[in-house]
Amino acid sequence: MEGKIVMPGEMISDKPDRISYAYVANGKTYSTVVGLYHEGKLVPLEGPYEPLPDDYVVGIVTEVKFSGYSVQMNCAYPAFLSSREIRERYVMGDALFAKIAMIDEVRSTELNDAMKLPPGKLVKVSSVKIPRIIGKKNSMIDMIKATTGCDIFAGRNGYVWIAGKGNAPLAEKAVKMIEAQAHTTGLTDRVAAFLKSQPQIIIDQGAGAPQQPQMPPQEEQHERREGGYRSSGPREGGYRSGGSRPHSGGYRGNSNRQ
Amino acid sequence: MMGGNAANKPVLLKDGKRVDGRSVEDVRPLKIVARVLNDADGSAYIEWGKNKILAGVYGPSECIPRHDQSLYRAIVKCRYNMAPFSGAEEHGRSGPNRRSKELSKVIKEAFENVIISENFPKTQIEIYLEVLQSDGGTRCAAVTAAAVALADAGIPMKDLVNAVAVCKIDGQMAVDPGKEEDNFGESDMPIAFSPRTGDVLLFQMDGMLTPEELARGFELAKGASAKIREIQVEAIRKVYDEPREERFLVIEKKD
Amino acid sequence: MEPINEIKRDSLLAFLSAGRRADNRGMYDYRKIVMQPGILQNADGSAIASIGKSQVMAGIKFDIAKPFADRPTEGVLSTSADLLPLASHLFETGPPSDESIELARVVDRGIRSANIIDLQSFFIAEDKVLALYIDMFILDHDGNLIDASSLAAMAALLAARMPKIEDGKIIRGEFAGKLPVKEMVTTCTFGKLGDRIFLDPTLDEEKGMDCRLTLATTETHLCAAQKGGWGAFTEKDILELNGISLDKGKELRALLKSD
Repeated sequence: MEGKIVMPGEMISDKPDRISYAYVANGKTYSTVVGLYHEGKLVPLEGPYEPLPDDYVVGIVTEVKFSGYSVQMNCAYPAFLSSREIRERYVMGDALFAKIAMIDEVRSTELNDAMKLPPGKLVKVSSVKIPRIIGKKNSMIDMIKATTGCDIFAGRNGYVWIAGKGNAPLAEKAVKMIEAQAHTTGLTDRVAAFLKSQPQIIIDQGAGAPQQPQMPPQEEQHERREGGYRSSGPREGGYRSGGSRPHSGGYRGNSNRQ
Repeated sequence: MMGGNAANKPVLLKDGKRVDGRSVEDVRPLKIVARVLNDADGSAYIEWGKNKILAGVYGPSECIPRHDQSLYRAIVKCRYNMAPFSGAEEHGRSGPNRRSKELSKVIKEAFENVIISENFPKTQIEIYLEVLQSDGGTRCAAVTAAAVALADAGIPMKDLVNAVAVCKIDGQMAVDPGKEEDNFGESDMPIAFSPRTGDVLLFQMDGMLTPEELARGFELAKGASAKIREIQVEAIRKVYDEPREERFLVIEKKD
Repeated sequence: MEPINEIKRDSLLAFLSAGRRADNRGMYDYRKIVMQPGILQNADGSAIASIGKSQVMAGIKFDIAKPFADRPTEGVLSTSADLLPLASHLFETGPPSDESIELARVVDRGIRSANIIDLQSFFIAEDKVLALYIDMFILDHDGNLIDASSLAAMAALLAARMPKIEDGKIIRGEFAGKLPVKEMVTTCTFGKLGDRIFLDPTLDEEKGMDCRLTLATTETHLCAAQKGGWGAFTEKDILELNGISLDKGKELRALLKSD
């Protein structure tokens, strides 16, 4: 990935620009995060997951409700899967792969298009690294799947589910390697070399192994709508009271806040 | 802070040199490593003088208990805590005392200023500061480490905050008091800055200072703050310049 | 983040039934153990022990104290554990939890039963004895905090120095030789799920397992034990695991000695 690593509070433009993850003060633009700045775009190198509609995520069922399921997906806000959206029944602890259908004005997420995941292991990575783990047109994730013999579901939320009878620890190592080096170039080749150099234990599938569910395509058919936020800049003086003062200033993507 | 017996007060400043050989502008040796813990969302370890402090950050995450939450922003929680084995004297008691509660509050308020909390309503951001070894100036070291841990977690901030204290020793203002200067100095003034603007986010003092001494103190502190920021940035950059998949805390043995 | 069960019991069972563990370890293998003894200067003894991603720091401090009324010539040994909130989002701030109390008491029991510290030698004068405080700071939680804490505590004891005492007071910063430690105590913690038993459970394994057994051993003896969790062990299990603990102890003692 190209660009210059910038720090919170570092000036990235000497004009007041509208850049995600940056703020304007005194006619200049400053970064709010540790990120890569390149050609007018600032991409955070770390940060919490920001759910967007059409994202595919890996989630864990945390509560079975009458009308559906509460799903934990590495997000500070609740996520819900309605029973009407799915044919199978889930129990607490089940892992699933689903699409974000919508996010409402209080930031609750509704999921649909869900698929139960086979038994496996959850690997948590920083959500901003997931695109690199998937790779252009699934190239990276397909490579890991092929060499390790695992089924891998990478949720845009930073949850990666590794299942199947392949070499799961090796797949996990590859994922963690990409997470650590996501900002570098030549990564695909290094990961390929690493995978080739490791012993790959292939476990016999055995007769009558259950059919693995097909993962829906994870290609980005369109540029993912940018998440991110822009701060309105340093708060104007005054003592912040118990939260009843409405906030001014625009945030793209956080609609309908009064 | 001050409390030493005036009768055994040592000479703190002689020919421009302090007890440990430093000049009034020199900060003690300072080292920061980011990303040393596995569970926390962000973390940093700082060694400043003999201070050894670990900072861990979580968030934004669901605000628990619910009644603490704000509809408009993330709330910031901060806990400063000292290990029972951290002091040079006797064994301390586990758990918060009045001093740690006060420090938890003023440190929290420093970060409430710079964390862009409006982006995460109804959530909480937690900052945990554990003093493993103390050597005077723990609150400044804790603030400095906390900022790196927050950056490590990707929590958006207006600036990378740091803090440094200024003292008055033998009538002169000097930056970053060591243990003896803490005990026998005539004033102690910890200050946290947002380096970009020079805004003061944490400010405490005790002792007696004239207006000139106060101004001189700020001058020294700002100079030190700029140097400290470079060390913070270096620690953050190292995470990306020398990527590691394993995270662990390494403390070099010193005699 | 809400605590969630990352691996259901079923997932864990699936791995174990195939004779595997999620990280490809053998059933009785430890994860990578790294010891860092003597890293603090204010503490009278200190160490960090990490097992996999779990990291524990132990610090030792001496103080002068009043002896217990029923043991007026004996020193005091006190062990505590802090499950720091930065170690895991499962840990909350507040008074010591049952988990931290159990952890401290289990580590303490091994050290005390085997009498590796001669508390009688801590007598100073009437109503004055030395107190030895072992405080474990859990820094990072990925399972098996008991073994990581025991290793840290043991390494801290081995690196500890006796304080210099003059006129019934401790002269801080001056020391009178090393703390005499009679021998090393090590613990082995096993998890059980169904009828599968495995050593050194990770956090994921702890969430799925039914129960755990910790056995503290010297080179020749069992000196402390603690079963935790709602499941059950058979007598045969325990006798077998005792043998494995005595055997594994050699490996752990080698790590403690090497620094």
